[in-house]
Amino acid sequence: MTEHNQQTNPNIYKPATMKIVARHDEAPGVKTLRLEFQNQLDHEMFKETYRTGMFGLYGVYGEGESTFCVASPETRKDYIECTFRQSGRVTSALANADIGDLITFRGPYGNRFPIEEFHGKNLLFISGGIALPPTRSVIWSCLDQREKFGKVTIVYGARTVADLVYKHELEDWQERSDVELVLTVDPGGESPDWKHRVGFVPTILEEAAPSPDNCIAVLCGPPIMIKFTLIALKKLGFDETNVYTTLENRMKCGVGKCGRCNVGSVYVCKEGPVFTAAEVSNMPAADL
Amino acid sequence: MSIEEQYRTRAKELLSGGAVKMVIGYAKGTAGNRRRPVFISSPDEVDRLVLDEACIANLSGYLVSEGLLSDEKRVAVFLRPEGIRAINILAAESQLDSEQIVIFGFDVSGNEVKALKGIHVEEFTEVIEAIKESAPETTNEELLEKIEKMSPQERFSFWQEEFAKCIKCYACRQACPMCYCRRCIVDSNQPQWVNTSSHSLGNFEWNIVRAFHLAGRCVECGNCDRACPVNIPLRLINRKMAQEVLGAFDHFAGMSRTQEPVLASFKKDDSETFIL
Amino acid sequence: MTKILLSDKLDNCVQRWKSAGITVIGPVQRANISTYAAVEHASEFDLGIVLTDRSIKELFFPQTEPMLRYTIKKDAIDTDEFMPPAGPRIIFGGRPCDASGMAIDDPLFGWDYKDEYWFKRRNESVIVSIACAKADEFCMCTSLNLSPDSSKGSDVLLRPLENGKGWQVEELTERGREAFTTIADFLQESSDKVAPLAEVEKKFDLETCVDWLQKPENFESRFWKEISMRCIGCASCTYLCPTCHCFDIQDEGDTYSGFRRKNWDSCSFALFTMHTSGHNPRSTQSARWRQRIMHKFNYFPGKFSANSCSGCGRCTRQCPVDMGITETLQEISKLMQ
Repeated sequence: MTEHNQQTNPNIYKPATMKIVARHDEAPGVKTLRLEFQNQLDHEMFKETYRTGMFGLYGVYGEGESTFCVASPETRKDYIECTFRQSGRVTSALANADIGDLITFRGPYGNRFPIEEFHGKNLLFISGGIALPPTRSVIWSCLDQREKFGKVTIVYGARTVADLVYKHELEDWQERSDVELVLTVDPGGESPDWKHRVGFVPTILEEAAPSPDNCIAVLCGPPIMIKFTLIALKKLGFDETNVYTTLENRMKCGVGKCGRCNVGSVYVCKEGPVFTAAEVSNMPAADL
Repeated sequence: MSIEEQYRTRAKELLSGGAVKMVIGYAKGTAGNRRRPVFISSPDEVDRLVLDEACIANLSGYLVSEGLLSDEKRVAVFLRPEGIRAINILAAESQLDSEQIVIFGFDVSGNEVKALKGIHVEEFTEVIEAIKESAPETTNEELLEKIEKMSPQERFSFWQEEFAKCIKCYACRQACPMCYCRRCIVDSNQPQWVNTSSHSLGNFEWNIVRAFHLAGRCVECGNCDRACPVNIPLRLINRKMAQEVLGAFDHFAGMSRTQEPVLASFKKDDSETFIL
Repeated sequence: MTKILLSDKLDNCVQRWKSAGITVIGPVQRANISTYAAVEHASEFDLGIVLTDRSIKELFFPQTEPMLRYTIKKDAIDTDEFMPPAGPRIIFGGRPCDASGMAIDDPLFGWDYKDEYWFKRRNESVIVSIACAKADEFCMCTSLNLSPDSSKGSDVLLRPLENGKGWQVEELTERGREAFTTIADFLQESSDKVAPLAEVEKKFDLETCVDWLQKPENFESRFWKEISMRCIGCASCTYLCPTCHCFDIQDEGDTYSGFRRKNWDSCSFALFTMHTSGHNPRSTQSARWRQRIMHKFNYFPGKFSANSCSGCGRCTRQCPVDMGITETLQEISKLMQ
């Protein structure tokens, strides 16, 4: 995969140019952008190399680059979607960009969710707040090939109703008969007409009590949610090798050279961002 | 009893009695006459402390390291007069409570180390006033004179060559007791006030900005100069700024805990020659 | 009988190389610092010093370099790529520790994604190192399983002659042979003896240290806080180190045009790993010092089978507070006893 990358562009730091073709306000401060490649070769390379789980460096010339996952699934490679919270210099520039503006994309980098290993299994997706995007990429990769998987359960929660992202897709998943969606907001975050659950994700997960038999769990969320959800999953009988998560760390180069993203001996940009919970528990917690 | 032995005894007393939780001093370094900062918390370790003419570094910067003084216990520290001035400035700028600082004062003339009497920073006012009056020489006086004789063009070329060496390691900033900002101006990126690249512009920007931020605050301890791994004569810039500030505002940094920072206060008789 | 190069022929070599279009670079004294720079004449070289203040790394991985220039137009963005300046170079007179540092970093810059900025320069350079007849108290190459006459990373190794008149020549690679064929008529056969090598005593036992570092329970040892108390968190050690390679990518410009640059960065800086959220995995200087040591002697060798250290000793030589790798590894050795 990297060979191909080098052939089209020997300069590994040169990004591809992307045009913003759609933008959507997901939640206060959170936006999704849909991007299309402006260069045929860059697009071919992406189609050949992108697998769900990989990330990219999205940038604006003059501001810099920022790292997020690719939120669109490996089954839909005509465009790239990314979802981010406006929080610093680059994300502010991206948030203020208009449809038709050109931004940069470097990637896709990192490892992937081993989706083929999930064939024939039940899937449990657990996510919180702004961490739904990487999970969503896996969800659609699976729903786009629905027949290959068993039961699909999605447990998703946010602090408040307004903070839920991909609200339209949540409605889609709600309506599908082949998906069980458990939606929740934190206590105090519900609106007067909220019809779904109220409670923290780990608590709601325990209540839903999905069976660990023949089941893969994909878990993405803020560190505190991950910590308690792992405890809940363990209680439910899930083995750490069947629980997948993604790690985020500050990145710059994305290709294992700038020395920034390692957690202990593991480089998140090269050996991640997808890890099993077993792999994460072997990393020095103090470096996370 | 040599001053080294005197101070070791004093350190032992203060630590065993619990009067201070730590003594920051000098210990023997890797080689020759190198001395390194040492942090003694146990009375059994006081023999690691050394005190001689090679003890040059200004240790006051460690007093503002994160969390050191937040438990309100006292810390003892070996300081030369510049270091004592630094305590005054840090106290005046609300970075530490000078009541928590127990000073082991000393000065060096020639090869002789002599003790400076006093415990709290107020007791050293006379020493500091004497320094202000006598305007002591710094190292590199020759180079300073050479630069003073240069035309502005020549000075610019001189500094351009020197700054070309800068690698933006920020050793000067980290070694300086007055550079305590949690987020230095170079760390700001909205906007990026000072370029981080070490090209000509980035280097000039950094060094000049730092010199300005130190105007009226530098105690001329030379930590920056010694720390610089590429031998840029940084103390000359700061010395020049200190001279200018002294001339324009009669301000000598570090006179007392209540001295107002020169660039943050206004007096009616301040020179206004820069306003055309 | 071996091949030697007499020092009074060195300038002839420099001129011969230059006329073949090769830039000659070597240790010089410039503006009160010893560094590597291009020379016009051999007389500019300062070959007698133990080691230059600045390392050879700068010739392959400069402190700052532009990668792209961008110009934003109405419906397109033009980018001009900057590739390292072309042209063959001979780096003459560095020390074996500097050369070995470059060989140590090669696998990192080539890890799956090849960094052309590094390799273009590497491929166009011939490194001619001079073995050390003297060392100082900070040198520690022998503790890293290297030596004052190590050939790692060098294309040609010169050994000083005992009579002080020149060097014995040992061509190590094809590139080295080519470069010295160009000046073959300035070399001669000789049975002059080589000067004894500098004696660099071993300062610590590397294997013991690596063992300690690899034990997971030592990650959170109190040792880290104790050993790094005086560290002020500057980047002197990392920037002068021949093997340190951390960098930052920065855009400089405005919304119309500017540059995307690659600049040195350092794991010793407080904000190196700061997340936008405000979370900093390495928020204390002791955590950062631990990262430095672990990376050099545990993580890097785990991936690339070589310690990220060439034993040059610059870290301790230059440290404003007399820290450096040597003391840490010596203390770790003591812990294991």
